[in-house]
Amino acid sequence: MRNTNRTGLRPSRRIRATAVVVAAATLVGLSGCSAPDTGIVTLNFFQFKPEAVTEFASIITDFEAENPGIRVIQNSVPDPDTAIRTLLVKDKVPDVLTLNANGNYGELARACIFANLAATPVATTVNPAVQNIVQALGTCASDGSKEVNALPFASNASGILYNPTIFAQNGVTVPATWTELVAAAEKFKANGVSPFFCTLKDAWTASPAFVNLGGTLMPEGFFDALRSEGANVSSGTVSFQKDFATAAQKEVDLFRYCQDNFASRDYNAGNKAFANGESAMYLQGSYAIPAIRANNPQASIGSFPYPVTDDPDARVVVSGVDVGIAIGRNTAHPAEAQKFVDYLMSPAVVTGYSQAQSTFSPLANATPNTDTALAGLEPYFTAGKIVGFIDHQIPAAVPLVNLLQSLVISGDAGTFLSDLDSEWSKVAARTTTQRQGK
Amino acid sequence: MTSPTSVRTSKHRPEPAVSAPASARSSFARTPRTFYWMVVPAVVIFFGLHTVPVLSGMFFSLTNYAGYGTWDFVGLSNYVNLFQDDRVLNSYGFTFGFAIVSTVLVNVIALAIALGLNSKIKFQAAFRGVFFIPYVLAILIIGYVFNYLFANSFPAIFTALGMPGLATNLLASPDWAWVGIVITTVWQAAAFNVILYLAGLQTISADLYEAASIDGASGWRRFRSITFPLIGAYFTINMVLSFKSFLQVFDQIVALTAGGPGTSTESIALVIFRGGFQGGEYGYQMANAVIYLFVIIIVSFVQLRFLQRREASFS
Repeated sequence: MRNTNRTGLRPSRRIRATAVVVAAATLVGLSGCSAPDTGIVTLNFFQFKPEAVTEFASIITDFEAENPGIRVIQNSVPDPDTAIRTLLVKDKVPDVLTLNANGNYGELARACIFANLAATPVATTVNPAVQNIVQALGTCASDGSKEVNALPFASNASGILYNPTIFAQNGVTVPATWTELVAAAEKFKANGVSPFFCTLKDAWTASPAFVNLGGTLMPEGFFDALRSEGANVSSGTVSFQKDFATAAQKEVDLFRYCQDNFASRDYNAGNKAFANGESAMYLQGSYAIPAIRANNPQASIGSFPYPVTDDPDARVVVSGVDVGIAIGRNTAHPAEAQKFVDYLMSPAVVTGYSQAQSTFSPLANATPNTDTALAGLEPYFTAGKIVGFIDHQIPAAVPLVNLLQSLVISGDAGTFLSDLDSEWSKVAARTTTQRQGK
Repeated sequence: MTSPTSVRTSKHRPEPAVSAPASARSSFARTPRTFYWMVVPAVVIFFGLHTVPVLSGMFFSLTNYAGYGTWDFVGLSNYVNLFQDDRVLNSYGFTFGFAIVSTVLVNVIALAIALGLNSKIKFQAAFRGVFFIPYVLAILIIGYVFNYLFANSFPAIFTALGMPGLATNLLASPDWAWVGIVITTVWQAAAFNVILYLAGLQTISADLYEAASIDGASGWRRFRSITFPLIGAYFTINMVLSFKSFLQVFDQIVALTAGGPGTSTESIALVIFRGGFQGGEYGYQMANAVIYLFVIIIVSFVQLRFLQRREASFS
């Protein structure tokens, strides 16, 4: 914290620290501590992915073997977005972090939590198209994209996962248009096969479909226009009610083909059910593949991009940076942290991770992932036919996933769209009166 | 959980058997130092860990602090925006409805169980132990168990009984999810109130019942004219404490519905946690928390005044 330009908050530090003592108590276990006597530097490594803990543990073991003077402590928590904010309130920024590059990351980056990695040699090895997805979320530099606050370590792709065995048994081919997708779902239903296994107990599982539908159908520059309207969404030229009606309706149409108890099943149950062939398709992206294989290593998995319209050439893949790597801006051990990041970003480690976790390598000139489950999405990723996750453009204070959960349970697209407009307006009103200069 | 201040305000009544006899008559000069050593550290710790954070939270409610980064003073605009936020207003509606229903159910059920456990039944000690177990369990764990029951066991049971109409998951319905939360809460919270009511029932002298039965009073009459008035103080405390703790409902909602489906079961505390820690609106939700604090204080105070007037007193 010492070298920051944030002098305005210094007097309040003590008050702020005590303000969160209660919240802090639950997270005490997260704080690693350095051991100054032994000469060994301990890096506190915040790792957000619970399913990749063993993967990172073996990476760390290899790194420590090469660098005897550095010890890396991996901290993994169930609710990383909340945990990282709680750590920040206490001014305990970890030395090295992995974070999902989402809207939450963007808010933290704009608040100058992470170091600038633009000048590091390793930054030049990244595919610029993928780095742009990270840059679009926000950086510490107010003038634009001069700073690089996180490096992409693994990219994901959101599409529809399907079970090739069930498709073959029912004589269904991979749908390339919306009409074909609906027809396929109807055919499965008629044959007594569940078309989709939906898991609405976890509200967020409604959003992968929505980001694909909305991301493809929304007009160019929608969110920039929406942001410029501020709180006057209802009188502006763009709004969710005006521009997302088709996407919301198609979301409802898709979730009509869910199994009966879809509102009381959670994501883990969904992964298990799809792994065991209980549904023909699964509305989740590449990130669900490791979890499905954990339930059944022999699971039959294929993938295809959402056919949102009846134009097969309009299909795109929604891609995000699943794992971004950042360094705390005021870490006590910048050299050692950089060394660890350099090691993480080395081609062997990135490729090894992307094979193990079914992700796409964000490095320039990377060899394509040979995982058969990704074969349907890989060409789109390689050809750059990708769009970002639109939910990363929506502030965390808007309860998007909860509204989506209501939408697919009730089927009421009108209420959903007006609620979304109203939540956006309220947050915009609070933000413009409050956070000037951000 | 139980706030010591609200217990202390209830004077003018027979002291419960558990509390220490007050040495009100002795002057300060003769008070041994030991008592100060018992009290002062508690006050210091309470001030440091409770009062200071409350004051700093009030301070941040006047800022646009996100929980990290820079902040500026924004005056009372957080408070103005609160009253225009229907999500916040809905959470107040949900929380009050939930608290009223749960308080009534918990007290009716707990009093009935306490009356049963206070009578001369077989295995009395064992029953008392069993009924206390829910209070010992962590509410999050109970929540996850009930979550499983609502999602899997109850639908299976009702299907087997041939009642498919009831075989849906209560928690998955935006209209009925609150009932599931009430059931879980009442199951857990009744245990503590049973203990308080039992303590109250044991202060009533058996002579009164003996005299009443000689006069030919029925069981209901004895309850209405002797038991209930004489445990009035315990009734007041139970009502105030349970209403206060139900207004703070959080854990069971996290475990059962996480505020869903949609935002239909978001309590005030959940909105504060979500917006403040997850949504990056720390300052705004601190304003919500300040209002919430005063609402709870006022409600408890009014409730205490109202109920105390109706207690029977020996003095």
